Amino acid sequence: MSANSAPTSASKPIRPNLFVAAAADGKPRLLGSRCRETGKIYFPSEAMNPDTHKTGTMEPVEIPGRGSIVSYTRVTRGLPGFSSPYTLAVVELDAGPSLVAQIEGAGETELAVGTPVELVIGTIKTEKDGTAIIGPKFRPRRPEGP
Amino acid sequence: MSKAYVIGAGMTEFGPQPETEVHELARRAAWDAINSAGVDPDAIEICFAGHAYQGPCFGQKALMRIGITGMPIINVENACASGASAVLGVLQAIRASEAEIGIAVGAEKLTTPGGGFLPIVADDLDSNMGRVMPAAFAMIARRHMHRFGTTAEQMAKVAVKNRRNAVRNPRCHLKKEVSVAEVLQSPMIADPLTRLSCCPNSDGAAAVVIASENVARRYTAKPIEIAASVLVSGLRTPYGIVDDHSEMSIRAARMAYARAGVEPADVDVCEMHDPFTIAELVHYEDLGFCAPGEAGRFIDEGRSEIGGDVAVSPSGGLLAKGHPLGATGVAQIAELFWQLRGESGDYQVPGARIGLAHTVGGGVTKLEAGACAVHILKA
Repeated sequence: MSANSAPTSASKPIRPNLFVAAAADGKPRLLGSRCRETGKIYFPSEAMNPDTHKTGTMEPVEIPGRGSIVSYTRVTRGLPGFSSPYTLAVVELDAGPSLVAQIEGAGETELAVGTPVELVIGTIKTEKDGTAIIGPKFRPRRPEGP
Repeated sequence: MSKAYVIGAGMTEFGPQPETEVHELARRAAWDAINSAGVDPDAIEICFAGHAYQGPCFGQKALMRIGITGMPIINVENACASGASAVLGVLQAIRASEAEIGIAVGAEKLTTPGGGFLPIVADDLDSNMGRVMPAAFAMIARRHMHRFGTTAEQMAKVAVKNRRNAVRNPRCHLKKEVSVAEVLQSPMIADPLTRLSCCPNSDGAAAVVIASENVARRYTAKPIEIAASVLVSGLRTPYGIVDDHSEMSIRAARMAYARAGVEPADVDVCEMHDPFTIAELVHYEDLGFCAPGEAGRFIDEGRSEIGGDVAVSPSGGLLAKGHPLGATGVAQIAELFWQLRGESGDYQVPGARIGLAHTVGGGVTKLEAGACAVHILKA
């Protein structure tokens, strides 16, 4: 986790039950669900399986934060509370699901479609009272990285 | 099942109208449509009213100013496709013989002080993560560039074309021509999309009066048939809206072509969902005007100009005419009504016989988008 985006005491998660900042091995994980029948993993978690339309087959799962960039952009003008400019990407996790998230610690030229990234938990935006809204972000990793 | 015909259309100017309430904008458009159709206001049996952010009972608040309430008024929210969904609602009522004459109204006011982006959708995860709409389309652009080699210059040419068309449309929000260099050098919003690659936030309203086969010719010698009206919702897709094609546009267009009995090559004029330059290129391919990967060449060769294979957004489109969300889909039908009757003045597509309107609406995390509408009209 980079120092400049570490959660402070005046912080709250962007959404409950979306991530854990440190799992048993100290690394962050995304919280999703997995279907016991199909094995498919969903993020964010689903109450029922939207592919099979079945209930009672989903179980909670901690999703490792390794993935790669599907597409990305440098947002020059963001909404209030976002620290612009910032880099935004669609990240496809190695475990299956994709999500939209900010990329930190990357110059624009370092990124490409396919760049490997890893999950960090950091500040997504700051509310007017100074509260940091924290959640999943990614940073580039070496393909053979940790 | 009755056929349905557009028999009248009305539209306000698009652009900032800070002094005028949204219901008054909608009243003006509805009144113009009713007058152009020549129908008795009391003969209107149903109204569908499209808007995204204008609050409860929007349609009632507009039509009460004309004095036509009492019949069913159904308010429709489908983000940018709200207006197109309202048109579909009226059409279905007429096809089902629930009504002989109905009106679709759409309006929006978006030019609030300090405004730039659409309001964040509080319950949408992608929005909260920082995915403003220009960023979504920038990532679509990156996918299309990556797969097909589409260039920033080719995207910029869409803005150049639609701005040039807009200069001839008196209702347009942005009335100044721009060059490729100006588009590329305007301030970056979300790389590779610059400010001139994005549609403006506009105020405006539009309305169309739709009638059954039984009564349409009582009012006009030139009713315009709505030969296909298709509305689909988006599927759960791996990357959401960020892809090098729009599955829901392809699906809706195929259904519409089949129902109308026409081919993409038959379309003379298209009012297309072009909120950002890249969208128009992607949708040339989705709607079958060219093959996947050919959109860059299609714009390079001028084939979407007035006088080309298919005139795309001769009105100026969302990029230049403006994009008051609820009004947009209704305005597209109004534009096609005028085009197919030869009443579009300086931006008339010569000899236009078949028109297609295409709208996509709504950023929804995990879905490609909320709604996509394709209408095909025949002279």
